[in-house]
Order: sequence, then C-alpha cells, then structure tokens
Amino acid sequence: MTVLGGIDRRLLQNVDWPLLGAMGGLVILSATTLASLHIGRAGGNVAFRQLAWFTLGLFALVAVASVDYRRLVRLAPVFFVMGLVGLASVFVLGRTVSGARRWILLGPMSVQPSEVFKLCFVLMATWVLTSRWAQPVGKTTLALTVPVLVVPVALIVKQPDLGTALLLFPVLTALLVGAGIQLVWFLAMKEYQRERILVFLDPFRDPLGSAYNVIQAKIAIGSGQLLGKGVAGATQSRLAFLPERHTDFIFAVFAETWGFVGCLVLLTCYALLLLRGFDIAASSREPVGRLIALGVTALFATQVLVNVGMVTGLLPVVGVPLPLMSYGGTSMLVSLTGLGLLLSVRMRQFQ
Amino acid sequence: MNSWSGPGYRGGLPESHDPGRKRIVGMSIAVSVALLVIVCQLWYLQVLEGGRFQEASDKNRIRIRPIAAPRGILFDRNGLPLVDNRPAFTLSLIPRELERDLDKRDATLGRLAVLLQIPFQELQDAVAKVSSDSFLPVRIRRGLSIADMQKVEEWKLELPGVIVEVEPQRVYPNSRFAAHLLGYVREANDEQLKQGRYRRGDMVGQTGLERLLDEFLRGKDGGERIEVDAMGRPVRLVQSTEPHPGAQVVTTVNRRVQEVAEKLMEGKTGAVVVMDPRNGDVLAMVSTPAFEIDRFTGTIDRDAWLRVMKDPEFPLLNRTIQSQYPPGSIFKMVLTAAGLQEGTLTPSDSVHCQGEFPFGGRVFRDWKKEGHGTVDLMGAMAQSCDVFFYNAGLKVGAPAMAKYASAFGFGVATGIELGTEKLGLIPAPKSLRKGKPPVWHAGETVNMSIGQGQLLATPMQIARFMSAIANGGVLWKPRLVQRIERPDRGVVWSDAGTVNGHVELNPAVWAFLRRSLWAVVNTSNGTGIAARIPGLDIAGKTGTAQTIANSKSEKGQDHAWFASFAPARDPEVVIVVLVERGGHGGSMAAPIARQIYNAIFFEKVASLDISG
Repeated sequence: MTVLGGIDRRLLQNVDWPLLGAMGGLVILSATTLASLHIGRAGGNVAFRQLAWFTLGLFALVAVASVDYRRLVRLAPVFFVMGLVGLASVFVLGRTVSGARRWILLGPMSVQPSEVFKLCFVLMATWVLTSRWAQPVGKTTLALTVPVLVVPVALIVKQPDLGTALLLFPVLTALLVGAGIQLVWFLAMKEYQRERILVFLDPFRDPLGSAYNVIQAKIAIGSGQLLGKGVAGATQSRLAFLPERHTDFIFAVFAETWGFVGCLVLLTCYALLLLRGFDIAASSREPVGRLIALGVTALFATQVLVNVGMVTGLLPVVGVPLPLMSYGGTSMLVSLTGLGLLLSVRMRQFQ
Repeated sequence: MNSWSGPGYRGGLPESHDPGRKRIVGMSIAVSVALLVIVCQLWYLQVLEGGRFQEASDKNRIRIRPIAAPRGILFDRNGLPLVDNRPAFTLSLIPRELERDLDKRDATLGRLAVLLQIPFQELQDAVAKVSSDSFLPVRIRRGLSIADMQKVEEWKLELPGVIVEVEPQRVYPNSRFAAHLLGYVREANDEQLKQGRYRRGDMVGQTGLERLLDEFLRGKDGGERIEVDAMGRPVRLVQSTEPHPGAQVVTTVNRRVQEVAEKLMEGKTGAVVVMDPRNGDVLAMVSTPAFEIDRFTGTIDRDAWLRVMKDPEFPLLNRTIQSQYPPGSIFKMVLTAAGLQEGTLTPSDSVHCQGEFPFGGRVFRDWKKEGHGTVDLMGAMAQSCDVFFYNAGLKVGAPAMAKYASAFGFGVATGIELGTEKLGLIPAPKSLRKGKPPVWHAGETVNMSIGQGQLLATPMQIARFMSAIANGGVLWKPRLVQRIERPDRGVVWSDAGTVNGHVELNPAVWAFLRRSLWAVVNTSNGTGIAARIPGLDIAGKTGTAQTIANSKSEKGQDHAWFASFAPARDPEVVIVVLVERGGHGGSMAAPIARQIYNAIFFEKVASLDISG
C-alpha cells in the first residue's frame, strides 16, 4: 500500500490534472481579488495569508491523496465523533463574532469546527451507507442516516450557522441517490415532515437585515458590466457597505472588477472542477470510493451554487463561503482536503 | 437495482449495468443547468441591466457616519458627577468626497487652513494617512468653537468633503478638577491602534480612572448609513444603529471634599489624601500642581501640553501614589508601637532633651535648638522631641522598627487600582548581600528613628497606615470605585472593599498611640495645635522631613507632613497632607487638614454621608 513518500508510480499516472488545474486557477483568482481589497487591518495582508493557507492545504491534499480512502472511511466514526466534539466545543471555548459562536481558538489560529465537520459528515455518511446494516438500500438505510444528520444539524443551528446546516441536506440527498435509494422514498415523506424541515431551516429567519447587502452586491455585480471596471475602478467593492466582502460576498467584488467575461472564466473553473468530481464518482466502480467522491463533489457544488446564487440575488442570504475563493483558513484547508479525497479515489479507481 | 451495493461486494460491473453511474451523470447535468441559470442571471445583471447598475453605482454614495457613544459618567459617592459629557463640534474630512484632482484638493485644504488657522501640513498629513476611497470621516479638530463651526457652514459649498459633526465631549467641574484621579481622555494613539481594540479616532482613557475603567466607560458606538448626493448633502437615511452609552461609575470620592482640598492646595506642591479608616474609601485624592485636564482631553492643546512638559514640578505626576518622601516624624508612631509592643519602651521612660544628641562621633540635633527639657514618651510624641526618639530608636533597634514598618504597610504597594504606584522603601537593617561587609551603621538607626535616612513612603501609604492606627490595625486596600452600572444591565461590577493585612498590637498600645496623637493636636505645646478645632477631637502627627537642598533659591528644604484622623474616639476620617518644601508640618500642613475637617464636620457639606 501507499504511504507518504512512497507513492506507487501507477497511482501517480492517474492524478487528475484538470481538477488540480481548476483548483490552481481559482486560488489565483482568489488571491488577486483579495489583494485588490487592501484589507490588512487585522494583521497581515489577507491575500498573503490566503496563499499561506493554500500552501499548508497543499500538504494536506498530498497527504490525504496518498492514503487509501478506504482506510479513512473505516475511521469515519472516529472523525465523526471528533467533529461533533469540535462543534460542541464552540459553546465552551467559542469566540463570538457578530452574534455567532463559530470559532474556537487553537493556539494562534481560530478554527471553525463547522467547516471541518463538513468532511467528517461526508465520511460518516459514506460509512453508514456502505455498512452491512444499510443493505439492501431502502427504508432502513434512510432511518440509519437520520441520527447522522440530525445530531450535527442541531449543534450547528445553535451556533448559529444556518448556512452549514443547510449544506448537509443536499449532500446527504446526493449520497442517498448515488447509493441507489428509490426516489419514491423522498416522495413518501409525509407532507408535514417536509414542512417541518423547511420551517426549521427557514432562511428568511436570518436576523441580519441582509436585503441591504444583496442590493449593494447586485449593484456591484451589475455595474461590472461586460468587461469589468478593473482593480482601480471597482469603487463599489471598496466601500464599507459589504461587511463580508472578503468572505461570503467575494464573488460580488470579483464580478465588479472583471465583469461578465471574468465571471465566465471563474464559473468555467468551477464547472470543470465539479464535472471532474462527478466523473471521478461515476468512474469509481467501488461503492466506498464512489460515495466519497460524490459526497465531496456535492459539497463543493452546493456551496458554489448557494453562494453565487445568494450574491446574485437568486437565493436568500445564508452564510456559505465560496470554496477556494472566500478568505478563510479553515475553509481553505477543508476544501483542499476534500480535493485530496477526490484524488485519492481517482488514483485508485483501477485497483 | 442496487446491484453493486450488496454486502461484501468489491468488484466492478460493466458500465451498462451500473445504474448508480447514470444517476451521477444526472446529478452532474443538474448542476450544470444550475450553473447555466447563474450565467443567465449574470448576463441579465451585467449586460442587459449593466448600464442601470452602473448609474446606481455612481450615484450610490453611502456615507457611513459613526455616532459616538457617550462615555460613561463618573459620580462621586453622593451622586454628584465628577465628569460629564456635553455636545461638542468636531471638524472632519471625508476622503472620498474631497476633490479627486490633487491641486483642487489642496486648494480646499488651503482654504480650510486659512479659515480656521490650522497648519496646512496637518490637514495634508491627516488625509495622507487614510485611503482616498474611504467614506469614514477623519477627525481634524475636536471642540470646535461655535464661531469656527459657523465659518465652515458658511463656506460649505467651497469646502467639499469637509464636515462638522456633533459628538459628546468630557466636561469637568473646573479646569484642573481631580486631574490625576480621573485622568484624561484622548484619541487612541498609534500604539493603542496596533493592539487592534480601537479604531482611529476612538476616544480612549489615557490615565487615571478613565484608563482603568476604559472598557466599561466607552460604550458601543452606533452609526448611520446615509445616502448623499454628489455635493455631499444627505438624501436619505438608509440604516441607523443606536449608540449604547458607557457604564456609570460610582466612585468613593466626595466631590465637595475633593474641591475643598484642591482649593487649599492651590499654589503649593504636594498631596492630600482623605480616607475613611473604616473601609479604606478614598474620599479625596489631590496632587498639586495639577494639569489642566479639560485641555488635555480631546484634541491635544499644544500650549497646555508644552506648559506641563516644561513645568519643573511635573504636573503629570500623581504625588499621592507616584512620589515617595521621607516620612519624618510621622515614623515616630511606628517606633513607639514597636517599642511598646516589644517591651523595649514604656510610657514612663523619660529623657532630658537639651537639643542635641552626640552619637558615634556625630551630633544629631533636635528640631528645637534649645531642647524640650525632660519629656516622657507621651510628651515626646506631642512635642515631637527628636532626642527622645534617638534614644528610643537605639533601644528598640532597627530590625524591630523595620518589622513594624513593614507590618504597617511601609515599603508595600497599597494595591490601589490606579496602578503605577511607588512602593516606598524600608532600608534593610542588616546587609543581606552575601560576602559583603554589613553596610548598616548605628547612626542610620538613629536617623531612622525620626523617619529620615533612606526611609521613604507615599502619601497613600501614610493614609493607609494612619487608618490602621485609627481602626485598630486593619490595613485596607484604598478603594476608589464602589460599583459600575450599565443602563440596561444594572450593576456589572462592584467592590466591597479588600483588607490587605492586620497589625496585631496589645490594646493598651493602641490606646496609648491614640491618646498621644490626640495630645499632639490638643495640648498647648503639641506640634499639631494648628489643626485643633474646638468641638472636634482630632488626633494626628506632624512631620518635617528634611531633604537635600537642590539650590539656595528654594523656599525651604523640608517637606511638611500632617497625618491625622477624627473624631479621635471613633475615627471616621483620615487626612494626610504633604506639602513639598513647605517647611514645618505643624505650621504648613496641619492648618490645611484643619480646614478640610472643618468643611467635613461643620460646614453643611451637602449631606456628607461618610458611611454611605
């Protein structure tokens, strides 16, 4: 088997270069956008820090890719419990930032356990769905996934981090569909059950009068027009009206600066990344690998669609970062680890 | 259906028999469609409606106007404000609204400089510090006069990007009121900005209680988002957040007593501490000369600053805790306590004083050249006979004196929360340095007996010591703040008082000390007679601490001390007065204490509730 430093040559031949290319392109776009914002007050330039996190993330990516993902899935319950502990620790050690306790301090860094938990969730869901008890896929399978979903969602909603909680539903749905559940089961869900979930996750509960931000984001995006205003002309983005302009609203900044053409480039990068992800899942003939790849891809896809949909005014505002673009150390590390999982599956698809 | 998902299944299947694959392809198509929808939305926003949004972006000049939260108010123990807020005009520049063209911008700044007599360079520096895209106002001058404000309003159209805001500013009962205790408030300096807790332009307590309690006093700024037109005129209020005022602080200070003591110390250099010996409450804390606190708060007043910096008396120094002096004859109380408790002195000891004391080849003099004649311990204390205490000091010994001095809090921080206090000093009676010969001479013991030599104490330490004499041995930590209240949450912090230590003495010794201190003020030849008030039993001790003369021109070289409490039987107030180079304690310091007692006990001080 393979460990770090002794990767099998046959494995290296199967590295997914288009996927890595899309990733590299996105990180470059992210760093240039962050650099144009001149945010440096809280110590250090964010673009520089983003690249530093990216470098760190590359190590994580290589490390994860070089381990057989099946070994990781076998440890899924451990990761899951650790992830839950991390989520719970926020209430004890958490730092409150604008009304939400999402961060804990680990030495000099602040970590967002709900970010880390996203991957723990994918691993755990895969473990459950490929476990003996989940076969054949049906009612029992569905029942088994309930605690895997409900416990963390309860913890995350309490922080509150609605965005992350909301992500887990489509990811689990994708995994169930990929595992082969009959689509009838979703329809069989009682009307009131569906309603309950929807009420529970009502995005319009968002307490931070966010309509104002969306209007400003739309003005920023729209005024970028076809070719963008360039770094110097992107006045809208540099105003202080977007409190999250280097994190959740970074797409608006990008769109104002580079216009429709720039957005096409950016979305092409994401399309490439997501399609390669689905391809990895589809090409894997082995259930564990398939579900892992599908879960990670669904996670990326949901985040991209929800974030961009929100900033462009198609969806209500929920706090979801744009993977690889938004500034954030934990998010960057988690994204690259996820890509590492995809690579690990790809490299071993013929074994 | 789920052909590959059976237990133990590990192999692959031909693609055509892999329904999972089809589902995944379906999902990828769904995601692609969603991305296409986003592209359509972008096409709509950026290409179809782009022109409209471009226009909106040009017009969209949102000005963010911070509304400074009023700083919390400090009250005295009876609810009188020690410091308050009043609205003041602040001149600010909005970088984003200044002319883009550099020449035009400089013309605007030049106009402003001439109009208000502000150095042009200062304006340029202020603008250079921040991004030219910023909508956040950059403060230039706080406390603008009404005339200046009117000038700016009049020239408004010629001064794009210049605004006058109304902000709360500190106001004090008088120019130097409790300057050291309260401390001044100033915009966060570069170092404080670096800590990341403040924004540029935030008002931060820099000294005294304002600094100590800054976190409570600051409150939370609110803000307004205002849409303005190209001329900078507000068009619409978009959003506003109310500021949360800072917490209110109830101190232990009695404003009347503080004012009286300050008035009495005017023109003198020194310190006054008024304390409640029953709980360590600081009723007044005066250090003179004081700086002009009203001119130190807000934007810096260069003249006031230079005056303070050049003043040889260091007005910024809080002499009650940051200056240490030889305690002089006040120390005789420590010596007496040590001797009586250890049995090395008795009240009946007597000495015939002829005004000098030859010892070790030197002659130590009494402050009274002709001597006091035959005096016993009580008489020696009342008349402050040095010769008696030279003898007594040799009998009791330096180690015992040092031990009792330490027990009474000499050489130990009082723990007063203002911080930066000096510790005072008790000289070490024997050399503690290994391998070096002892450096202690018997002559130093003689000097120490009357509180001279290396012995040093701060007025606050003396006040705490005097309180311990008054209350029978409890060393209270001086308390300045009773409680802090937030308008919305009630009391958020309170201090019930802290005991630093106890001094255990025989009850007879306490009684003797109090009686002899009463004699100092209330017998005809007592040195503290100038503090006497008929109808009030004041007990105290004078001190005249010799210092080394710096120059001939100085008016006198001795520091005048008077440490006292009243009523002698059931003490409620301790007053310590120190006048630097004021001459005799009895003639300089004691009368000041008397007038403070007079104000406290006889002038109807507005419901002076000392126990409250």
